[in-house]
Amino acid sequence: MNLSADVLDLDWAEVDQRLCRFIKDYIDRARADGVVLGLSGGVDSSTIAALSARALGGRNVLGLTLFEKETRKSEDVSHAELIVKKFGLKSEAIDITSALEAFNRSAPLFDSEDKLNNGNVKARMRMVYAYYYANRLGLIVCGSSDKSETMMGYFTKWGDVAADISPIMDLYKTQVRSLARYVGVPEAIVEKPSSPALWPNQFAEEELGIRYEQLDLILFGFERFMKPEEIAARLNIKKSLVEAVKHRWLSAEHKRRMLLTAKLEYRTVGADFRLQRSPL
Amino acid sequence: MKEQFKIALAQISCRQGNKTENIAKISKNISKAKKQGAELVVFPEMSLTGYVIKDEVYDLAERIPGPSTKIIENLAKKNDIHVIFGMPETNPQTEATLHNSAVLVGPDGYIGKYRKMYLPTHSIFEEKRYFRPGYEAAVFDTELGKLGFIICYDIYFPEVTRLTRLKGAKLIVCISASPGVRRAYFEILTLARAIENTAYFAYVNLAGVEDGLQFWGGSRLVGPSGRVLVQAKYDVEDFVTHEVDYSDIRPIEAFLPTLRDLRPELFDQLKHGAEQL
Repeated sequence: MNLSADVLDLDWAEVDQRLCRFIKDYIDRARADGVVLGLSGGVDSSTIAALSARALGGRNVLGLTLFEKETRKSEDVSHAELIVKKFGLKSEAIDITSALEAFNRSAPLFDSEDKLNNGNVKARMRMVYAYYYANRLGLIVCGSSDKSETMMGYFTKWGDVAADISPIMDLYKTQVRSLARYVGVPEAIVEKPSSPALWPNQFAEEELGIRYEQLDLILFGFERFMKPEEIAARLNIKKSLVEAVKHRWLSAEHKRRMLLTAKLEYRTVGADFRLQRSPL
Repeated sequence: MKEQFKIALAQISCRQGNKTENIAKISKNISKAKKQGAELVVFPEMSLTGYVIKDEVYDLAERIPGPSTKIIENLAKKNDIHVIFGMPETNPQTEATLHNSAVLVGPDGYIGKYRKMYLPTHSIFEEKRYFRPGYEAAVFDTELGKLGFIICYDIYFPEVTRLTRLKGAKLIVCISASPGVRRAYFEILTLARAIENTAYFAYVNLAGVEDGLQFWGGSRLVGPSGRVLVQAKYDVEDFVTHEVDYSDIRPIEAFLPTLRDLRPELFDQLKHGAEQL
C-alpha cells in the first residue's frame, strides 16, 4: 500500500460537516447548553474551538485558558485570545498556579524534581477546572486529543484526554493541521510546534523522537493492517523505528480503555456489558 | 397486479432504543406517504429501535408478527398502504436467538419477513454477536408485484439479490444502516445490483448519528438500467417519492439480457470455490 503524504488527505469540507454534526447531535441529545474546552493556543484546541463554534454558535462555547506560571508563554496566551475573538467564544482566563501550589504543599510525597508527575498533575488540574465549569453551567466537556497522540499514549491518563466527546480523535496530527486551515485557524497557530505544556520548553516531536509527518504515516500503515516490514520498506526507514512505534502504541492501551476488572460473573462492567453511549 | 405505483423512501433517523418515539415517526411518515399518493413506503434497517442498541437488543427484540408489527399493520390498514421496515426479531422457538429482520405489511395486514443473511462482524459492526443469519431469500407476491428483500451488508454478496430476482422480484428493496465511511461502496453497489438483475432497486438508509456513527442517508430508487431515478439527501432525514413502472424492465432486459445469459454450471464452481476458501 502506498504511504505517501497524500493518503492522509481527506475531503475537509465533508470532515468539517461531519464533526459539526457530531458535536451538535451530542449536545442536543444530552440537552446541554453548550461545550466547555481548554484553550491552550495550540492547533488541536483551536480546531476544536472552531468546530464547536461552527456547530453551536460561539456564544455556546466556553473556552477556558488554564495557564500556570512555569509554562505560560505570551505567544500561547495571545493565540488563545485570537481564537476567542475570531470565533466569538465566551472565555475565562484562570491562573491555576495557586491550585497547583496548594496541591504540592498538601502532598507529603511531592517532589519538585519529578517533572513528569508534576506535569501530569497540571493536566489533571486542568481537567478538574473543565469539569467544574461543565457541571456548574450545564455544559459538555469537549476534548481536543488527536489520533497521533492518542495512539502513542502521549497524554495524561485522566488528564488532558478526559472529556465527554473527543471530536478529532480519529484524525492524525497532520490531518488536524489541514482541517485547522480549512476551518480558519490562523497559520501561526497551525505551524507552531505542538506542546502539552507540562513543563517549560516541552515539545511533542522532540519528546516522541519523530516528526509527525513520519509518525502519522507509520500509524496510518498500522491502521490499514500493514506489517512493520512493509511500512519500513515503503517509508524507507529502519524497521526498528516502526517496531518501536508499534510497541508504544500497543503498550498504551491501558490509557485508552478504562475500567478493567477481573471477570467473575455473567456480565461485567468494562468487559462484556455493551451498552449505547449516547445520552438517553 | 399493478404495473405502476408510487414508492416513498422514508429516510429517518431513530432514537436508539425508543420504540415509542420511532413508531411515532414511522406513523407520521406513513401518513405523509399516503398524502403524496404512495402505495409503498420503505423505512431503514432496524428503524423500529435504532441500529446501535447493543445489549439492549435482548429487551427490544420481538416476535414477528408481534406487538410492534401489529401497530404498523394497523397503520398500513388505516392508510391503505404497504410498509417495509426493519427490527430485531426474537426467534419463536428459542427466545435468545435473534434475527435482524425486514417486515412487510400491507392494507390487509402482515405479509412476511426477511432475515438478514450476511451479518457484518468487523470494524464497528458486531451483528454476529447478537443475531443468527437467515437462510432464505424472501420474495412476496403483492398487488404491487413481487417484492424482494435484502438488508444492508447483503448487498456485497450479489447472490442474495440474484436469488430474489430468480424468484420473480422486479422491485428489490434494500433497507440499510450504513455509516458514512461506507458510502462510496454503496453508491456503486446499489447501481450494480439494479443493472445486473435488470430490476428496480430501492435503497433506504438511516440518517443521523448513533453513538458517533453517522449514517449517510442517500436513499435512492435505481431503475433497471442503473439510473438513479430519485435520491434523498446525504446524512440528514429526508423523504422522497418516485414512480415504479415495471413496463420499463422488458426493454432493458432485451437490451442487456443478463438473466437470459445466466450460466448455471458456473454456480457449481462458485460453490466449490467458496467451500475450498
